[in-house]
Amino acid sequence: MSATTAPAQQGIYHKAGSLRSERRWALWTAYLSLIVSAIIMLAPPVYMLLTSLKTSAEVADQSGSPWWVSNPTLENYWALLGNRMFIDFFLNSAKVTIAVVALTMVISVLAAFALGRMRFWGSQALATGVFLTYLVPDTLLFIPLYQIVGGLGLLDNAWGLVLVYPTLTVPFCTWIMIGYFASIPKELDEAALIDGANWMQMLWKIFIPVALPGIIAATIFAFTVSWAAFVYPTAFITTPSEMPMTIGVVSQLIRGDTFAWGQLMAGALLAALPPVVIYAFLMDYYIAGLTAGATKG
Amino acid sequence: MADGGAATLPRMDAPGGASLKRFARRRSTIAFLMTLPLIAVIGGLVVWPAGYAIHLATLNRRMTSFIGLGNFEILLESETFRMVIFQSVFFAITAVILKAAIGFWLAHMLHHIPANGQRKWRGMLLVPWVIPPALSTLGWWWMFEPTYSSINWILNIFAIPSVPWLGEPWWARISVIIVNVWYGAPFFMIMYLAALKSVPEQLYEAAAIDGATSWQRLRYVTLPMMRNIISITVLFSLIVTFANYDIVRVLTNGGPRDLTHVFASYAFQVGILAGNIPRGAAVSLFMFPILAIIAFFVLRGVNRRNKEEA
Amino acid sequence: MSKHGITRRKVLRNGAGVMAATAVGAPMVHAQGTSGSLRFAFWDHWVPGGNDALKELAQRFGEQNRINMTVDFINTTGNQLQLTIAAQAQSRSGHDGISLLPWDPGTYADQLEPCDDVMQRLSAKYGPVNPVAEFLAKRGGHWRGVPATAGTQAKPACVRFDLMKQHAGIDVREMWPAANRAGPGADRWTWDTFLTAAEACHKAGVPFGLPMGQFTDAVDWVGAVFLGYGARVTDERGNPTIRNNAELRQAIDYLVRLSRFLPNDVWAWDDASNNRALISGRSALIFNPPSAWAVAKRDAPQVAENCWTIPMPAGPKGRFLAYLPYVTGIWSFGRNKTAAKAFLEFITQRENAELCVNKSQGYDIPPFLSMSDFKAWETEGPPVGTIFNYPLKAHHQATYSIAFSPAPPELAQQMYLQALNTKVVARIAQGGESVESALGWLEREINNMRRGG
Repeated sequence: MSATTAPAQQGIYHKAGSLRSERRWALWTAYLSLIVSAIIMLAPPVYMLLTSLKTSAEVADQSGSPWWVSNPTLENYWALLGNRMFIDFFLNSAKVTIAVVALTMVISVLAAFALGRMRFWGSQALATGVFLTYLVPDTLLFIPLYQIVGGLGLLDNAWGLVLVYPTLTVPFCTWIMIGYFASIPKELDEAALIDGANWMQMLWKIFIPVALPGIIAATIFAFTVSWAAFVYPTAFITTPSEMPMTIGVVSQLIRGDTFAWGQLMAGALLAALPPVVIYAFLMDYYIAGLTAGATKG
Repeated sequence: MADGGAATLPRMDAPGGASLKRFARRRSTIAFLMTLPLIAVIGGLVVWPAGYAIHLATLNRRMTSFIGLGNFEILLESETFRMVIFQSVFFAITAVILKAAIGFWLAHMLHHIPANGQRKWRGMLLVPWVIPPALSTLGWWWMFEPTYSSINWILNIFAIPSVPWLGEPWWARISVIIVNVWYGAPFFMIMYLAALKSVPEQLYEAAAIDGATSWQRLRYVTLPMMRNIISITVLFSLIVTFANYDIVRVLTNGGPRDLTHVFASYAFQVGILAGNIPRGAAVSLFMFPILAIIAFFVLRGVNRRNKEEA
Repeated sequence: MSKHGITRRKVLRNGAGVMAATAVGAPMVHAQGTSGSLRFAFWDHWVPGGNDALKELAQRFGEQNRINMTVDFINTTGNQLQLTIAAQAQSRSGHDGISLLPWDPGTYADQLEPCDDVMQRLSAKYGPVNPVAEFLAKRGGHWRGVPATAGTQAKPACVRFDLMKQHAGIDVREMWPAANRAGPGADRWTWDTFLTAAEACHKAGVPFGLPMGQFTDAVDWVGAVFLGYGARVTDERGNPTIRNNAELRQAIDYLVRLSRFLPNDVWAWDDASNNRALISGRSALIFNPPSAWAVAKRDAPQVAENCWTIPMPAGPKGRFLAYLPYVTGIWSFGRNKTAAKAFLEFITQRENAELCVNKSQGYDIPPFLSMSDFKAWETEGPPVGTIFNYPLKAHHQATYSIAFSPAPPELAQQMYLQALNTKVVARIAQGGESVESALGWLEREINNMRRGG
């Protein structure tokens, strides 16, 4: 008996041993690829940071390594923060983004609640319509919108952006929220209805608190999209005083031949700061917002 | 997902009664009112402009007379535009394949390491996706700059000659793709990671007991479980990549010789910069059939899966 | 000009400024304007401190006429100025007046206020305007704006004389001294000589930094080569003149040969790349106004000290100097047009034009030919006299030129923006196409632009 089991046991051990070494190899490969890819993923922002700490003379000097700063300085940052134009970019971005996020959340929470919890004639078709709208990119619409916004006299006006940005944010946020509302057990609203609550009370007292993680995710999405929007401001805004960050940095800080690269990179990093900060603190919500659509839909 | 939401509804008002019926009538009115702002946004800012774009595309340069399909005809006859079609398709397909492959690989690697370290790595790898692309592209532009290129500096250390990143057409096309992949791969990674985590561990254990190699586990367990999410992510990304504008605008502005123009940047060049709005509208409308096909597949995929799950 | 505020009366006496003025004067301007304010958008100067002149002039004009002046500066990097012009024309709102690029006055003619009265008075005082500027600023017999001083530039060769002498054996300072005479060998300063020098400098590792991309620096210098060989792509009516055009083939052939001696990425260069090439010390010659030199003076003095500006080489059909004139236009939908005209007239006065030239370290070239004798071009340095030959002088025996003339403006505008002349060369030299097929492409492209008008 024992004689016959021994080889079998050996076989199992052998298998387990190879499995373990396979696992170890897999782990090494995993760490190696993660390290290599992290270096590649982080190289551009790091290089931007290094450049932003250099003086123009150091940027122009080609004798040393471009990946090293010999005399780090914050002068580029101070120059920008003391620049009225740059402060205006920031304020415009903030103004537009806050208005758009507020508008988006009101529109999409109301609509998602109606579409997700209260069926009515055409609600199915409308939900599909929202989904399809999300597939229409801004680059298809900017030329007709250029005409429309121009006709309203809102070209070159930051408020014109508040008008058009909802095309970027509302469909996706509504879509996320429909999913969240739909996933809440139906007993909740039945109980509320029996208690005599009306629909608005129900939304406000029950659904919004329960769906809060979804709302935060949607808000972060709306925020990052409006902060990073590029096509519409490029087409609609040409006066520096009305420009938001993205287009302001790209169009106004590029100074052809004057080696203002340090300042340009500092500007780009400062402009990227708000979404990065939100990301750093709310990474899980951020990722939930990103993945919500696909994993649930 | 939309359907999933609606699917829970029918049973809600099952208990009959006159008051409930009245309530239901009122409910649909309220619901309609609540969706009204959404309808206004979609109608006024998407449907109407899209229709208006079609109207614009049929006008002449000065927008004084109707020329039917003239703009489309002229565009299709222009070699530059045919090249733009080629480049848009080439760019989108190459970039999406690379993003999907790299994202898949990274998600897999991330899934392999111990759970307590994953958060840190995930945080680092997602950084490119967080920075607004117009701004990170500036950084890339500076890394590609011919005279001061820091990438070439590194290549030169390994005795590789400098690469004319943005000067030579194929290198310029590759550069645009590199930046797009750099920006988009983390998104795929995060999606696939979420999907990988939803694959039940028992399936792998069962496969291991059956003596499946890691390739077999990937082929017969992971991929089938992730099929839906892969297809949806790829289709979404195809749309976004097709419609990309900011990377081309900042990095090459379409040059050299218009060879890196995609639909969006060419529409901008023709429509807004050179002031031929109708022809610019026609250029961007060329994206529409592609989008429609993708939308069809996405919808079909979503519907089919909902049926499977039901 | 005296530093302290100048009284209105003095201004009137000077004929400066608010002229319409003779009778109506500033109060009239003030009363007519809805808010007594003016907003102008000017090209953002590339020379450090180059915007100061217009800022100062605007402030002075505003104080004298009690007008609230706002001056914005918009740069051409990424075509920002072009976009602004298009957006304002489209929405019929924006600034009162704006800097227009060469072909814009013709393109936007029906939305620009005619400035015939202003130009008539200025011409009476200062004589004829540069013919290229006049050709571009006039449409249908009317001036569609006032040719500008600030920003108007020529693109002669800015040469590293040390490198040129060392590697190509050409002493450009001897050839083109800082004096009103041509030196020995100036008659041999042709495109053929230029090609030999380009080859020598390429071999020595300091290739000429000549952009071949789609921005104005590239289009302008290539345009001047075309004209030097007598090559035109269309006639006055816009009909392509490409078939059997020996001059065109000759010019293209020359450019293809020349491009072999340029850095391999010139096809993607923008207006700043050539400046960077010079300032970094990696290039022996660029075609550019003195902005590159002015920046080098600050960031790389050892380069600036070895720069010398000389005219463009001559071709078989003569010597042409690439010229990029700005015209300041007044939108017809503006609300304060009288004041806007007065402001343009004010900044074009001789002493104010000289202020622009001085502040821009000699970069700006006034539109009136009588104003090419300012001292700045003789005294700027180091090295002193480096930009003496920057504005066109009689002994250069050259003509100012603009690419794609004499095509009609709407067409020329598109050819200019799409950079057809550099692209046709690039298709052959970089894309490996035959001359036949590149020319066929050019003709089809022009025909496409003309269609659906």
